Amino acid sequence: MTAALELGSGESGDNLLARVRTVLGRRTEGRAVALLAVVAVVTAFLEPVVFTSYPVTLGRIALIGLVALGLTAVILMGELDLSVASTLAVSGVVMASIESLPLGIVAALLVGLMIGAANAFFVVAVGINSFIATLGMLFFLRGSAFVLSNEEPVRLANRDAGIAFGKPFLGPLTPRMLLFIGAFIALQVFVTRVRVGREFYAVGGNREAAYDAGIPVTRRIVTGFMISGFVAAMAGVINTLERTAADPTAGSTVLLASFAAAIVGGVLLTGGRGSIFGTLLGATSLGILQVALTLSGVQVDVQNIVIGLVLLLAVITDPNSVRGVVGSVRSLLQGRSRA
Amino acid sequence: MTDTSTKVAVASQPAAQLDLSERDFRPIDWLAQRGIFVFTTVLILVAAVFIDGFASLANITDVFNRAAPIGIVAVGMTFVVISANYLDLSVVAQVATAAVVLIGVSNEYNIVAAMALSLVIALTYGLINGVAVGVFDANAVIVTLSTTFIGLGLLRWLTGGSIYFGPPESLIRSFGTTKIGPFPLSMLVLILMAVLLSLVLTRTNFGFLVRSYGSNRAATRLAGVNTAWVVIGAFMISAIGAMIGGFVLAAFSNTAVSSMSTGFDFEALAAIIVGGTSVFGGRGSVMRTLLGVVFVSVLTNIMVLSGLGFGYQQMAIGALIVTAVSIDALARKATLS
Repeated sequence: MTAALELGSGESGDNLLARVRTVLGRRTEGRAVALLAVVAVVTAFLEPVVFTSYPVTLGRIALIGLVALGLTAVILMGELDLSVASTLAVSGVVMASIESLPLGIVAALLVGLMIGAANAFFVVAVGINSFIATLGMLFFLRGSAFVLSNEEPVRLANRDAGIAFGKPFLGPLTPRMLLFIGAFIALQVFVTRVRVGREFYAVGGNREAAYDAGIPVTRRIVTGFMISGFVAAMAGVINTLERTAADPTAGSTVLLASFAAAIVGGVLLTGGRGSIFGTLLGATSLGILQVALTLSGVQVDVQNIVIGLVLLLAVITDPNSVRGVVGSVRSLLQGRSRA
Repeated sequence: MTDTSTKVAVASQPAAQLDLSERDFRPIDWLAQRGIFVFTTVLILVAAVFIDGFASLANITDVFNRAAPIGIVAVGMTFVVISANYLDLSVVAQVATAAVVLIGVSNEYNIVAAMALSLVIALTYGLINGVAVGVFDANAVIVTLSTTFIGLGLLRWLTGGSIYFGPPESLIRSFGTTKIGPFPLSMLVLILMAVLLSLVLTRTNFGFLVRSYGSNRAATRLAGVNTAWVVIGAFMISAIGAMIGGFVLAAFSNTAVSSMSTGFDFEALAAIIVGGTSVFGGRGSVMRTLLGVVFVSVLTNIMVLSGLGFGYQQMAIGALIVTAVSIDALARKATLS
């Protein structure tokens, strides 16, 4: 509100400065830019291999980023989809269990859409908070992946397709990268240019107001969860193709990194603020960080510590909460005598 | 009842909405409030009749042995759920850390040092989770998800993922093997914890504040309550519950490894919610959680006895969580509309 007013009234000499400030104040990617700058500079000095062997790094960014993109669509509406990691695992297992490759891919993507619809059903029709609904779903789907695969990795019947999938397709870009770029562009256009997508922000910012303004809130939430389920299933398909096998435990490390990517990227957990571009920046910095840690021989456990710390810091330095913290700290220290 | 006619005549609203005390009987309300008593009884009866080996003394002791650590974790976590902060996922890391520290440090030094160190670690967990959620107003699921990864990562890194075995003759070992009838000592610890925490929740000022914060955050803050301490306190209790759960778990098997507590977060949450504590906060009790623990443990035991594997058990727990929360949500909707 104030930003808009400022922009409208600023006519004099400090117009440009005010405008720059307004634009910066509106952006939510600040933390992602800072993290990316730090990570990129440190990595360039300590582990330049990360940049010279960029196909590896790009592949990692694509996997984290793809799941994070789907999450962004849901988080923008103030909901959360914790089930993405299990969706990835289940869709991979479904795909590998089906003999024909195209049929398997279609089935896997359908499974993703169905999971999204089921999540949305519990959130919209039953009225459960999405944190709990998708948490239950996370466990249920993980169990399903184990049951479907008999608790063993499922080999892909068509291994050549998997090998071909890992080869550069267009220039240095592998199909995985192209799919990620496609998904990024599609979602960016969707939430900034398409009306349905722009309404996601309204639903997340103030659900009551969005409802009163005539936005079909229920349908938007269903769409959001289906996007998230579909994108997670796509990540599952890509993962399975690249490994030529589907692992029922896949995705647990991706979960943490993709959450961190979305939240570092400035997507507000309470909804209404954030951008697809921020998520891309977040995914890029986390991808570089992960590959750099792997290449410098850091154990997986330590990598988890680092990414967990990034996520913890990201979630507590949320611009909205930082503002409230000052007040909370004051009351924490002073206290108030209870009568 | 005398003025019912005037109500109908005056307002276009149905009379039921005006007179809350004479609300109709709703099956969904009954299911949310009392369902667990019936379900638990039916489940145990069905298991006793149809499942071979369920009613044997050895099996009942086994159920208790497995239920005790999860139950102790769940009664502690109940405080976090009632304060409307969803759950504490990091109990997985906390239980494993307490177990490894108990066995590992008492092998090297002594049991007092092990317990003291565990207490320090548990309070640190409680403080970090509580400050992040209570002071920084961050989402509890995300915060505890990240502390789980940090905690488990630290534990695996420092222990190298190795398994710690306790000596064959020790205080820990004898605690784990002593039984009173079919009850292992760990069950006694669970009952003690439940009674104690139930008193804290219902009889102390802090317990009252947890419930009040859970049902209305803004009102509690406006009443001049230091809400940050309430949240920190709730996470502290959850952390201490997880620590004692870890001790009991380590004593039962006399071994400790960083992966031994997988699934504790979900099973504890399932027990809490199935017991009838609302994830919307404010409503619930420790004793209900105890009942939920019985239900979840018996259900898991039945699945194990019927030869259903790990995958099916996870599916069941997940479905249980979603179903129980759905019933709670539908009951709330019915009451509000």
